[in-house]
Amino acid sequence: MSAPHSPPRVLPGLGLGLGYALVYLSLIVLIPLGALILKSSELGLHGILDIATGERALAALRVTFGASLAAAAINGVFGLIVAWMLVRYDFPGKRLVDSLVDLPFALPTAVAGITLATLYAGNGWIGRWLEPLGLKVAYTPLGIVVALTFIGLPFVVRTLQPVIEDIEPEVEEAAATLGASRWQTFVRILFPAIFPALLTGFSLAFARALGEYGSVIFIAGNLPLVSEITPLLIISKLEQYDLLGATALAVVMLAISFVLLLAINLLQWWAANRHRGSVVEGARP
Amino acid sequence: MSIEIRGIGKQFGSFVALDDIHLDIPTGELVALLGPSGCGKTTLLRIIAGMESPDRGEVLFAGAEATHLHARERNVGFVFQHYALFRHMSVFENVAFGLRVKPRKERPSEAEIRKRVMELLGLVQLDWLADRYPSQLSGGQRQRIALARALAVEPKVLLLDEPFGALDTKVRKELRRWLRRLHDEMHISSVFVTHDQEEALEVADRVVVMNHGRIEQIGTPDEVYSNPASPFVYEFLGNVNVFHSRVQGKWAEIGREEAEAETTTAFVRPHDIEISRHPAESALEAVVQHVHPIGPVVRVELLHGAEIVEVELSRERHEALNLLAGQPVWFRPRQVKVFGDAVAKESAKQAFLF
Repeated sequence: MSAPHSPPRVLPGLGLGLGYALVYLSLIVLIPLGALILKSSELGLHGILDIATGERALAALRVTFGASLAAAAINGVFGLIVAWMLVRYDFPGKRLVDSLVDLPFALPTAVAGITLATLYAGNGWIGRWLEPLGLKVAYTPLGIVVALTFIGLPFVVRTLQPVIEDIEPEVEEAAATLGASRWQTFVRILFPAIFPALLTGFSLAFARALGEYGSVIFIAGNLPLVSEITPLLIISKLEQYDLLGATALAVVMLAISFVLLLAINLLQWWAANRHRGSVVEGARP
Repeated sequence: MSIEIRGIGKQFGSFVALDDIHLDIPTGELVALLGPSGCGKTTLLRIIAGMESPDRGEVLFAGAEATHLHARERNVGFVFQHYALFRHMSVFENVAFGLRVKPRKERPSEAEIRKRVMELLGLVQLDWLADRYPSQLSGGQRQRIALARALAVEPKVLLLDEPFGALDTKVRKELRRWLRRLHDEMHISSVFVTHDQEEALEVADRVVVMNHGRIEQIGTPDEVYSNPASPFVYEFLGNVNVFHSRVQGKWAEIGREEAEAETTTAFVRPHDIEISRHPAESALEAVVQHVHPIGPVVRVELLHGAEIVEVELSRERHEALNLLAGQPVWFRPRQVKVFGDAVAKESAKQAFLF
């Protein structure tokens, strides 16, 4: 007798597919990150925390995570409006606007940074109107938020578009015949349907903002303790051949990002699944 | 509440969806809008609901002008073909929705909402599903929940757009009877759209047959079936054999070629044809092509000249005849309806001669 074999599967290639996925993930993601953690372990947990809780490092972490969250939140609101406009309304130049949304994906981030810095500087096209109002954008943390908002927008819009397209118009009509106003329909019917995708878009934009370097350094002014982001601090440590200090900061950033993204993903998973429940057995007509 | 529709017209681009529709629906009546797809029946229903606005004409609710009233102010219940339940809400919350969105002054208390929703779920016999989500229900259950949701706001008019179109035959039959009972208990006016003539004939008090954006006939199920006003109605309400005939004096004749006579069309239902194994007076000869027993009836296809004639026999009659493919037979219609281009009205009542 041959060895007992598992029941045949309908979808072939599980072994091959799983193996390929694991090898690929290991080569591209796990091994580099593992090496990073391994390298930092030379410092020990205590050493890492010492470096990460230094005044300058803490300020940089605060700026990085604060600005990223703010940018992702802004994108959450305005990305939703843009996606809604693009799906629900027909207007001249709609195709053009739709393709504009992708530009932040394609534009070299340094170009975006320089352009934004020029526009928002005290003598720039936009900056000269904001300056008299006491609003300094370029070379302040606010500038970082502007840059991060720019690069994060497509993530929110592109995640939301298919979901908004999927909403059946009948559902809104049903709400209307039941006496709901537009606002009630949005709050009670449409938003709950969009919310899981909005969270996904938010977390993608947030993750992208955390790792952003190129556009930020041109607009941030990079003042230590004020407008210096952690990626820049890591680079400057590398330039001073402080390899261990750089890995320590990287590991701390990695850990915080991982916890935050995991939390957002859990929330997103909960929001998407709470309406499914288990399959009904013996469903009667 | 009665509904009056006066001269409604609606166009989508160059396509005329509705053309000068007049219809009165008295309080308490259950009316079916029947017609093939694209005949405008759904557009008419949506205009009554306020989801579509007509280009011309007016809609009156209980005698009061309602053409431009918003859907949420019309107090109509609407049931969609694909249910349109709120996926992220439990069955209970779906039914409660209409009560919860009422302005604060009119909104019932939480306890009243609970009582009312459970009553409605009891009415549709699904109170045991209150905590489930729509994705966990079968199609028939979803449609009953959609109906309970529509009834929660105590509508004066219930509108149903192909309510059973997405369900299988058995569930459909059950829900049909159940809708009829519900309508009689609620004392409201109901309008439902269907392309299924059996459904319309079985459930409705009155049937409105529509085609190409116009009303072809309005009448009780029996009237439209046994006394169709036009060839379209005749053909749409069940199977039919069409004979091209010629008018001779007061007779419409089939099977005789005389060029100067006026052409007419004669309609015969398959179950109105008699078959005999022996030649008979004024019967036509044909050859049996196929014999299909279908449940309680046996459908026989006869070849008469180049034309196929469909006949439905009862099982007993079929056993007595013992028909086999290839046999010669003689057939004659028991009942015929003749429509001529010019003489449709008069010749319709004339006798028939082969």
